[in-house]
Amino acid sequence: MIFQSHLLSMVIYAFFVSVVLALVRKNELKSQVKYGLSLFLIMVIGGLAFGWFMFLFAR
Amino acid sequence: MKPYACLLAGWLFPGLGHLLQKKFWRGAIFLVAVLAMTGMGLAMGGKIYPLYIEKPQTLLEIVTNLFKKENPLALLAFLADLGNLLIYALSRFLSFGQGALERSTFEFGTAYVAGAGLLNYLIALDAFDIARGKKK
Repeated sequence: MIFQSHLLSMVIYAFFVSVVLALVRKNELKSQVKYGLSLFLIMVIGGLAFGWFMFLFAR
Repeated sequence: MKPYACLLAGWLFPGLGHLLQKKFWRGAIFLVAVLAMTGMGLAMGGKIYPLYIEKPQTLLEIVTNLFKKENPLALLAFLADLGNLLIYALSRFLSFGQGALERSTFEFGTAYVAGAGLLNYLIALDAFDIARGKKK
């Protein structure tokens, strides 16, 4: 069974979404890379931060 | 190329709207990204949500019944999955994407498939904008 790790699943999901949104939103290569990288980091770091936030309420 | 033809082509098959306008790199990247996401989602046991219609009904009856019988969120999942029109149609005819609830990857797989459908709406609209000359 693939992708037992939810972290890996999240990272790969964020990668694909970032690539597509960067190509849709920006025209120049430099701005696409910058925008895509920002989106990717926001999704991954935001997901991790929210995961740890939810851990506060875990029983 | 006519804008609405590009929109329809992009909706039918990921990246086709761009490929028809000779945007080969962009179209190829969209194709790989959406198909990879869908494929991985299905391999993880994700579900493609159908629109359940038991007998001929009016549109109002279909919508009302959806909220009576199904989880209303299933309607949103159906609309997201419909973004990948060809994959959705194939899943109905070939009976894949039934979802494997017992697997721990089911939720993520379903999110992958739905995400790919939503991204494909954006991709088709991007092809539409390029054909209209509103975008390079």
